[in-house]
Amino acid sequence: MTAALAVLAGAALAQPVTITWFVGLGAGAQPEQQAAQDAIVERFNAEHDDIRLEIVYVTNEVSVTTLSTLIATGEAPDIVGPVGGAGSAAFAGNFLDLTPLIESTGYDLSQFPEAAVENQRTDEGLIGIPFASFPAFLYYRPALFDEAGLEYPPAEIGAPYVLDGQEVPWDIDTLTEVAKRLTVDANGYDATEPEFDPTQTVQWGFVNQWAGAGAARQNVTLFGPGLLVDEAGNAQMPDNWREGWRWYYDAIWTHHFMPSADEDGSDLLAAGNPFESGNVAMAQSHLWYTCCLSGTEWDAAALPAYDGEVTARLHADTFRIMRQTDNPEEAFEVLTYLTGPASMDLLAVYGGMPTRPGDQAAFFAALDEKYSQGVNWDVARAHVAFADVPSHETPMPNHNRANDRLDQFKSLLDSQPGLDVDAEIDRLIADLQVLFDEAR
Amino acid sequence: MSARTALGRGKPSPLLREQRVGGWVFLSPWVIGFLAFTILPILASLVFSFTDFRLTEPESVSFVGLDNYRKLFVDPLVKVSLGVTLRFALLALPIGIVLPVALAALLDSKWLVGKPFFRTLFYMPYVVPVVSAIFIWQGVLNAQSGWLNRLLRLVGVPGPNWLDDVNWIYPALVIIGLWGIGNAFLITLASMQAVPTAFYEAARVDGASAWARFRHITLPMISPVIFYNLVLAVIGLMRYFEVPFILSNGTGRPGDSTMFFNIHFYKTSFVFFDMGYGSALAWLLFVITMVFTGLLFYSARYWVFYAAGEVR
Amino acid sequence: MAVARGAPAYPTIGGSYANTAPHYRRGLRRMGLYGTVTLFASLVLTAFLMHFAYMLVTSFKDRDQIVASATGPILPVDPLTVEVGGRQVPVYRVPIDGEVRELALVRPGRRESVFVDPEDPAGAEVVWEGAWRTLKPVYVWAPRTGNFAAVWNGIAFPRLLFNTAFIAFTGMVGTLVSCVMVAYAFARFPLPFKGAMFMVLIATIILPKQVLLVPTYAFFDAIGWTGTWLPLIVPHFFANAFNVFLLRQYFMQLPRELDEAAMIDGAGPARVLTSVVIPQSYPVIIAVALFHIVFAWNDYFEPLLYTLGKPSLHPISVGIQQYNFIYSQQPHLIQATALLGMVVPVLLFFFSQRFFMRGIVITGVEK
Repeated sequence: MTAALAVLAGAALAQPVTITWFVGLGAGAQPEQQAAQDAIVERFNAEHDDIRLEIVYVTNEVSVTTLSTLIATGEAPDIVGPVGGAGSAAFAGNFLDLTPLIESTGYDLSQFPEAAVENQRTDEGLIGIPFASFPAFLYYRPALFDEAGLEYPPAEIGAPYVLDGQEVPWDIDTLTEVAKRLTVDANGYDATEPEFDPTQTVQWGFVNQWAGAGAARQNVTLFGPGLLVDEAGNAQMPDNWREGWRWYYDAIWTHHFMPSADEDGSDLLAAGNPFESGNVAMAQSHLWYTCCLSGTEWDAAALPAYDGEVTARLHADTFRIMRQTDNPEEAFEVLTYLTGPASMDLLAVYGGMPTRPGDQAAFFAALDEKYSQGVNWDVARAHVAFADVPSHETPMPNHNRANDRLDQFKSLLDSQPGLDVDAEIDRLIADLQVLFDEAR
Repeated sequence: MSARTALGRGKPSPLLREQRVGGWVFLSPWVIGFLAFTILPILASLVFSFTDFRLTEPESVSFVGLDNYRKLFVDPLVKVSLGVTLRFALLALPIGIVLPVALAALLDSKWLVGKPFFRTLFYMPYVVPVVSAIFIWQGVLNAQSGWLNRLLRLVGVPGPNWLDDVNWIYPALVIIGLWGIGNAFLITLASMQAVPTAFYEAARVDGASAWARFRHITLPMISPVIFYNLVLAVIGLMRYFEVPFILSNGTGRPGDSTMFFNIHFYKTSFVFFDMGYGSALAWLLFVITMVFTGLLFYSARYWVFYAAGEVR
Repeated sequence: MAVARGAPAYPTIGGSYANTAPHYRRGLRRMGLYGTVTLFASLVLTAFLMHFAYMLVTSFKDRDQIVASATGPILPVDPLTVEVGGRQVPVYRVPIDGEVRELALVRPGRRESVFVDPEDPAGAEVVWEGAWRTLKPVYVWAPRTGNFAAVWNGIAFPRLLFNTAFIAFTGMVGTLVSCVMVAYAFARFPLPFKGAMFMVLIATIILPKQVLLVPTYAFFDAIGWTGTWLPLIVPHFFANAFNVFLLRQYFMQLPRELDEAAMIDGAGPARVLTSVVIPQSYPVIIAVALFHIVFAWNDYFEPLLYTLGKPSLHPISVGIQQYNFIYSQQPHLIQATALLGMVVPVLLFFFSQRFFMRGIVITGVEK
C-alpha cells in the first residue's frame, strides 16, 4: 500500500509544473518576434524536466483587458513580460516581491549596476531583475539635413552645433530653429518663410515618436525631470514642464514643425509611424524603436539641452512574476533563465540594450548587422547617464485614472488649435487633484 | 382562430393545452440556453454592482450596498455620455431607419439590371473586419491625405477635419456606419420578398402608381422588419463602442464628443479596473434602454402591421 | 383587399397612346427606365464603395507606396530610379530650357538641385533652380501582388480559414435550427406570459458583451471550456435574441391561412413549420444564416480570449491582428488579409441571391 502511494506521490512529483508566460503588455507580440521567442521556450523545455514553459501572445490593444480578465477569474499567468514602467504602473500591486526568492537562491544582483536594480524597486519590493535598457536619444535623417544645407546634430552630448557658420549651443531653441528649417511644404517653402503653407506640409522637422497614449509625460522630459505629485500628495505642474507643454503646443500650431494628431494619422506619416515614413527629419525616441525602424537612412545624435542640462528618458523593461502565481520558485527559475542565458537572444528580439555592462558590445554588434550604415551607438549609450530621475513613469496616486486624464490633456493639445495652454494645464491640475484626493 | 378568444377566461381547452405544450417544446432551446448560459452572467453583473469589485484584486471584494448607484448621480461623465449618445442618435437614427428601406427598394426594382451584383457589392463592406476597416476610414477621412477631402478639393470645396472637429465627427461616424448597412438592407429586402405579389397586381389593376403601391402596400407589409431595425438601432446606439473607441483611443476626442456611454463603462471596468461601479453604469444603461424599448413596443400597435393578424 | 386601403384612382397608363405604335414606345420607355435606375444605382454604389476602392488599392502596395500616395498617385506605382554612383536615384520631369526632360535627382537642395541625365549617369551634371518638391516624378506601375502570398504563408492562412469556417458553419447550423424553433413558438403559439417572455428575450441583448465578459469567462473557465472552441459554438445552439426577434417579425408577416389549411389536412405543428412556414421564409432564413456567418467570421475578442495560447485554433480574425501590432502596423498586409478573408462570405452571399428573387417564395394567398 505504502509502496503504491509512494509511486503515486513520485508520479505526482514528476509531473512538470506549468509556467505560463504572458507576452503583450509591452513588446514581443509581433509575428517576427514570436518565432524567436517560441524557439527560446522550446530550448528551455528541452533543458528542464521539472518545468514546462508555455507562452501566450496577446496584441497590445487587448492585452490589458485580457490580463485583467484573467486575473479577475483566477487564471492569472505566472510571468508577464517584457513590460516597462508604464505597463507595470497599470497593474501596480499585482507583482511578486522577488527579495525572498533572491535570498533563498542566492542570486547575484551585483552583476547589474546598482541604479538599474533600484529602478526595479517599488513600494511592493523588488519586482524585477534588470534586463533591458532603452535610453532615449535623437534619431535623424542625414539626407534631409543635406537637402536643407544644414549641419548634422552633434554626435556628442553637450557638444555645440554649427548654424549658419556660427557655433551655438545645441539646446531647445536651436532645435526649434533647425526643425523649422526642416519643415517643408509641397512648394518647397520651409516653416521659417512667409510663403509656407501649413496645410500642405510634406515634411516635418521633429516628432516625439510614439509618446502618445499612456505616455503623455514623455513629451516634456526634454525640459528636465518632474513629478506631478508634490510631497504632500497634491497635484502640481512643475515650472519646467509647464514651459515644456507650451513649447509642445507652439511646435504644432504656431511653428508647425511637429505634426498634429490628424497629420500623424495620415498616410503621409505612415498612419502613425512618422519617422519611418521618411518625412520627418528628427525624432526623439528610445532604443526600442529599432524594432520598428527599417532602412539605412538614419543615424543617432545627442538630445538638446534645456537650461544647460540634457535629460534623456530611460525605459527599463523586464519580466515580472504575478503575485497570484501558484509556483513562485519555478517561476523564478524561468525568470532567471530569461534574464540570464536567454537574455542575449531575447534582447536582440526586443531591440533592448543589455543592462549587464559586459554584454553590451555583442548587442550592438548584432544591431550593426541590421543597420549597415554604421549607426553611432556610442551617443545612444551615453544617454543612459542622463536618465530622468525621478522617472516620467513614476506611478501616481489613482494611477490609471490620472494617466487617462493626462492622455486626454495631450490628445486635446494634439487636435485643437487655438487653445490657451496655461488654462488647460490649470484645468488638468484641478482634475488631477480631485483624482489624487479620491485615492487617499 | 384562437381557442382562447373563443372560450374567454376559464379552464383552457384541450386544444389550447396542446398548443401550449407545442409552444413550450419549440421554445425550449431558448429557455435552456437562457438558464444555462445567459442568466448567470447577468445576475453576476448585477451582484457586482453592489460591491467594490476590482478586476485585479478579486479576492478583496466587499459589499457596498447602493454606493455605486449613488455615484451615478454625481459622476459628470454619466451626463456627458448620455448627452453624446442622444445627440448622435438624432443624426444616426433617422438615417439608419430610412436608408436600408430606400436601398432595398432600389435594389428590388425590376428596372435594375444585374441585381445580384449590385446587392453583393452593397453588402460587401458589411463583411470587412473592424481592424481592417479602421485603416480604411482613417485613410478616407483624414483631413490631409484622406480620399474624401482630396475629392472635395478637386471640386474646390475645402473638406473639414472629419475626425478632429466637434461639428463633423458625428457625420463622420454616420458615414462610417453606412458601411455596416448591408445587414439591415438585406433583411429589409427579405421582408419585401414576402409581400404577396397578388397585392401589387391588384393595385396595379386599380391604377395605383409606383409610389402609391410602395406607400400603401410595401411599407405596411414590411413594417415588422422596420420595427426590428428600429429597436435594434436604439439598442445598438446604447451599446455603440468599437468605432469611436478605436478612433479616439478612448479619450473621447474631439472634446468629449465621442465619449459614448459604453466607452465610459469599458474604461471604468477594464482600464481603471473598477468593475463594481462599472456594473452600476451597465445597469443604468440597461434601465434606460429597456424604457425606450418598452415605449417602442407599446407604440408598435399603432403602426406595425402583422399580416398574421396578431396585434402586439 | 386588406392593405390597399383608400388607394386613389389614377388614369390608366397607355390609354391615350392606343393609336401610336404602343409596343415601340413602351419598349423605348422600358429601356429608359432600365438605364436610369441602373445608372442611379451605379452612382450611389460608386460613392458607397470609395472606401472599398481604398482597401483594394492599399492591398497592392507596400508601406513606402502608401506613404507616397498620400500626396501622389493613388495607384500602386514606384518612382522610376536609376543607379548613379552606387545608389538608386529617382527620376523627375524637369522643365529646363523650355522643354521637359526626364532627369535623375542626384543632390536635392532647397533653392537649386543637381540632376544628371539618366541615359548618361556619369556625364555632366545639370543644375536646376527651383523647388524640386514641385516636380512630378516619373512613375512605374508596380503593384505588390506578393502581399497576398506573404499573408497566405505568413499567418498560415489555410489553417485559419478552416478554423473560421468550422466555427462559423457549425454555429450557423445551431443558430438556424434553434432560432427558427423559438421564433415559431413566439409567432404562432398562445403561450402564457408570452409578452413578458419576449421582453426578457429582448432584454438579454441590451447589456453589451463587455459587461458580461468577466462572469462569462469565469463560467466557461469553471466548466473547463476555455482553450477550446466550445464557448464559441455551443451557446448558438440555444437561440439568440437578434435572430429570434427577426424571425418572429418575419413569421408574423405571413398570413395564417396556409397554416390553417395544413392543419385542417391533419398536419401537426412541426409539419406546419417545415412545410408551410419555412418554405415561405427562405429569404429571411438565408439572411439569418449570413448574419451569423459574417458575425462569426469577424468576431475577434471572444475567440482571442478562449483560444489564448493555442495558435492552431485561431480563426482569421485573430490571425489578422498580428499585423495590427501597434508599434509596427502593416496596413497593406491587413487589407490583403481582410480581402482574402472576405472571399468566402461574399461568394456565399452572391450565390444565395437566387433565394431573393420573387417567385421562389410561395406567396399569393387567394382571398
